Amino acid sequence: MVTEETLSLSPRSWLQTLARGERKRLLGSALCGVLAGSQTVVIVVGLAWLIDQLVIHDQSPMSLLPIFSLLVGCVLLRAAFQWGHETLSLEASLRIRQRARAQLLDKLSALGPVWLTSQHSGSLASQVVEHIDTLEGYFARFYPQLRITFCLPLLILAVAGWLDYLVALFLLLSAPLIPLFMALVGMGAERLNRDQFVAVSRLSAHFIDRVRGMTTLQLFGRTFAAQQDVWYATDEYRRLSMRTLRLAFLSSAVLEFFSSVAIAVVAMYVGFGLLGYIEYGPSSSLTLFSGLAVLLLAPEFFQPLRTLSQHYHDRAAALGAAESVVNILNQPSLVSGHRHLPPLSERSAIELTAACVAYPSRGQVIGPITLTIQKGEVVAISGISGSGKSTLLALLADFIAPSAGEYWRQVNSHYAWLDQQPCLLHGSLIDNLRLAAPDASREEMVAALQRAGFGALLTQLPEGLDTLIGERGVGLSGGQAQRLAIARVYLSNAPLVLLDEPTASLDQETEQFVMTALLELAQEGRTLVIATHHPAVIAVAHRHFAFEKGELVEVVS
Amino acid sequence: MMGTYREFRPWLLLLVRRRRRFLLGALLVWITLMAGLALLGLSGWFITASALTGIALSLGLPARLDVYVPGGGIRFFALARTVARYVERLYNHNTVLTLLADLRYRVFGYLTHFDDARLHGERASDWLSRLTADIDTLDNFYLRLLVPPLVALLGVVAVSLFVAIWLPGVAVLMALTLGVLWLVATLLAAVWGFSQSYQQVVDQQLLRRLVVDQVQASAELMSYQTAEWHRTLIASQERQAFSNSRRLGRKTALLNCVVSVVSGVMVVAVVWLASLVFSQQLVAGPILVMAALIALGANEAFITLPASFIKLGASHAAVQRLNELADVPTASKASATLPEGRGLDIQANQLSLRYAHTLGPALSKVEFYLPAGKRAVITGNSGAGKSSLASLLMGRLKATQGEAMVGGVPSLQLSTESRAHHFAMLTQQVDLFDASIAENLRIANPTASDVMLWEVLRAVAMDSWVEQLPKGLATAVGEKGHQLSGGQGRRLALARLMLGNPQVVILDEPFAGVDSATAKHIAASLDKWLINRTAIFFLHQVSSLKLLPGIEYHWHLDAGKLSQCPLK
Repeated sequence: MVTEETLSLSPRSWLQTLARGERKRLLGSALCGVLAGSQTVVIVVGLAWLIDQLVIHDQSPMSLLPIFSLLVGCVLLRAAFQWGHETLSLEASLRIRQRARAQLLDKLSALGPVWLTSQHSGSLASQVVEHIDTLEGYFARFYPQLRITFCLPLLILAVAGWLDYLVALFLLLSAPLIPLFMALVGMGAERLNRDQFVAVSRLSAHFIDRVRGMTTLQLFGRTFAAQQDVWYATDEYRRLSMRTLRLAFLSSAVLEFFSSVAIAVVAMYVGFGLLGYIEYGPSSSLTLFSGLAVLLLAPEFFQPLRTLSQHYHDRAAALGAAESVVNILNQPSLVSGHRHLPPLSERSAIELTAACVAYPSRGQVIGPITLTIQKGEVVAISGISGSGKSTLLALLADFIAPSAGEYWRQVNSHYAWLDQQPCLLHGSLIDNLRLAAPDASREEMVAALQRAGFGALLTQLPEGLDTLIGERGVGLSGGQAQRLAIARVYLSNAPLVLLDEPTASLDQETEQFVMTALLELAQEGRTLVIATHHPAVIAVAHRHFAFEKGELVEVVS
Repeated sequence: MMGTYREFRPWLLLLVRRRRRFLLGALLVWITLMAGLALLGLSGWFITASALTGIALSLGLPARLDVYVPGGGIRFFALARTVARYVERLYNHNTVLTLLADLRYRVFGYLTHFDDARLHGERASDWLSRLTADIDTLDNFYLRLLVPPLVALLGVVAVSLFVAIWLPGVAVLMALTLGVLWLVATLLAAVWGFSQSYQQVVDQQLLRRLVVDQVQASAELMSYQTAEWHRTLIASQERQAFSNSRRLGRKTALLNCVVSVVSGVMVVAVVWLASLVFSQQLVAGPILVMAALIALGANEAFITLPASFIKLGASHAAVQRLNELADVPTASKASATLPEGRGLDIQANQLSLRYAHTLGPALSKVEFYLPAGKRAVITGNSGAGKSSLASLLMGRLKATQGEAMVGGVPSLQLSTESRAHHFAMLTQQVDLFDASIAENLRIANPTASDVMLWEVLRAVAMDSWVEQLPKGLATAVGEKGHQLSGGQGRRLALARLMLGNPQVVILDEPFAGVDSATAKHIAASLDKWLINRTAIFFLHQVSSLKLLPGIEYHWHLDAGKLSQCPLK
């Protein structure tokens, strides 16, 4: 259950909470990264020593064979640590994404159908699928690399200090600059990435906007102009973004510059020192071994930071995605979490006492309503659109919790729902019927479909119950879909059926059929609550309530 | 492999058009790489030479070392590397963005040929949701899959040739090892990860559909208490996707390890081989060090290759989808035109329409005749086939049987220009663009003056509302016109229609979301504007029938069948 504390989530804190769940793996990954880096240190120092022995001390290669094989061992060990580094962070990122997705899906359930219908389902799906996947780079690459960047340069500094303290001092002097540059690069890269992110999404939106309006463009014969417009918009964006990039890339050039200069400075210092041109400090004790080793260590000192800056866009992308996800997580939940108390009377199906419904943004919409519906009753609720009949139905269906008052219903009794646009799942007819009864047998399904007047269609379907319907399969008309929805009601055996405008936008034949089906359901002893403005539906109801000026009144015929 | 190449071919040809940019960009990356290797190699050479000279001097032997040339070289390469990197990033980014414009232009061009069935068909949301991502994938192709392998290959050649001057044996070793490594990091990675990276895209799509289901069926899932059941479906799909991703990730990690091991062992081998040559005094110490350090730095060109190439399957999936969009059934050479300046009649001859993958027809044997300059109304519920009929009449869809004729010409055979000129339609779902009110209006008539804009706004009773807006006509309507109410959006679209001078007008729900006083005003404006034009109103509610002026025909559409209704 989502608690109130989630309301104050920020993108950063959400990412941190997610990381905490996989702390061990992420730390392990960083540790492996540091160990792999330390193997690199061993390898370059070893190479320097080997070369020193060969060139200066004229050792024969054969006598150095053990060292050669030791180096090969180090290379293999480094690869092993690299493997650990990559697979651990991969696993962490997979698990984190799984958890984040589950959290988001839980939240969507808690927000309930009332909130969901006000949203674009495609963009919600992007949040759950693409945006959560965007977190991959952050946890798999950036997060461990940040830890590595804190440790590995220190290790390299220590080794360099042992070899030649002047070089270490030079690196150390640049060390305070590193946080500075990191901030600089960070700010530069972050601003760049943020700006890019915004600009790119705006540009994509422009493109999609024109694609969506293709019908209109075709109707007015403006497709070619729009096509050129698309090119100019992208090109204009290119021109603008090049202007900012000129500056933004400077920060990464600074890092590049630093690592190149480090090599150059160390090379000059070591070279002159070995020639005896430098009189002070440790330079008199410089050898080819220590000189070569510090030369090779200097770029390694900056390498973690360079890698980090390459992964900076992962962070920006993750923050951008987190922001939109957190926006959803911070929405107040509408669906009530607690269970219902059974009604006071044995014979009633539903009891409402002074129940009100309020939306966070709009305040109280309906109520207080006091209403008792007996088992087996057919109740019609009418009213002009916007009067609150759909809200009342949503309240009865638990899509929204009462803001005040009480709602009693049989504990755990499931109920059937039917509205004017029955939902078709991407899948087979069976999947669509399982929606109402996951355990139903094929025979039961066929029987329910036949009762719902879908029998003739079923024989036409190429693969019977296994035929795919919807976007990827056979398209159903509105009337056919409504029959399928009625088959769901039959299949579910739910004692209570809630119907929201079930006959709206149907062809005459299906409308007639739905009417008969409603009567049949009532004869089975099911309780029906129907929001409708259809006179024929109202006529068959036992009781009729109407919303008049915000009040629910019973209409006595 | 050939099949894959064929899918990529049209897009690679698009790149070829920018080949100078492409080659120059690759050259800059190569220069960066070479400057880095030169910096490292020269530094190693210089240090070793200094060490040897220093030892000779300390022993009192006559020795000299020119420190200025290598010193200058080191400084030059350090600077060259920085500058080249900066210029390269800037230049290649520019290329990528230029390509993006090219790619979007081309894809948009494909879409302009779509008919209504493809634009609004059931599968439309599928391709639309992936469109920009697919184009971006292709855009990244240049920087991730074309430049790096080329640079790596050129780097191998250059490095081997350079080392071969002193150490031909070592050079052969380097060329062979790095050559094989190049094949492993590109071709092998691509083949090895192909099906899994392809599957990754498929998995994402499947997961997306399940989530859309959960959102759209939330009411049913909650009421039937089957939300848990559906979540297990999502969970099992996700598990499957993740185990695929895990396999792919591990393959990438393994290839990265291979690159690391091969390049590391190669460095050791280079030192070993060179030391053998050195011990025979066939090569100088500084050269040995230089070769070793160049070998050490060479792996930089290979690091990013496996991770990029292992995802070739994903790029292939993107390209496949984009190619599907390009697959437009060659539009029949529609070139017929309509006569200017005279009324046009509309005739539906036994029109039947059946969409692919549906049971039963959307329209069956619709037959009517509307004389030029007359007005008709066709009522029907949503889903009865009104939009399909409108599309057929406007020549935006091909009937399964029968023909729609306008002015005696089958409307399907009319050229697009002619249709745009003579026909106008207010669609059920109006498209407003994320631009100003004025720009949205001028889509109908780019040369319309402000006076004309105000005039049509007055016709739909929106003039006073626009007048009181701080920015007036320049007010942005927002994405999909979200800054306007639904009714305002429809009225703006209607005003836009009135800027043109069509002979045939189809209005789908012109009064939806409009209060009755405004509806009366609009009806009066329409009455005036529709004089001498042939018009069909499509209406959902019969109640707005009495609003319509000058109606002489009334048909009703139910489940794709048209029937005549008496005029009240």
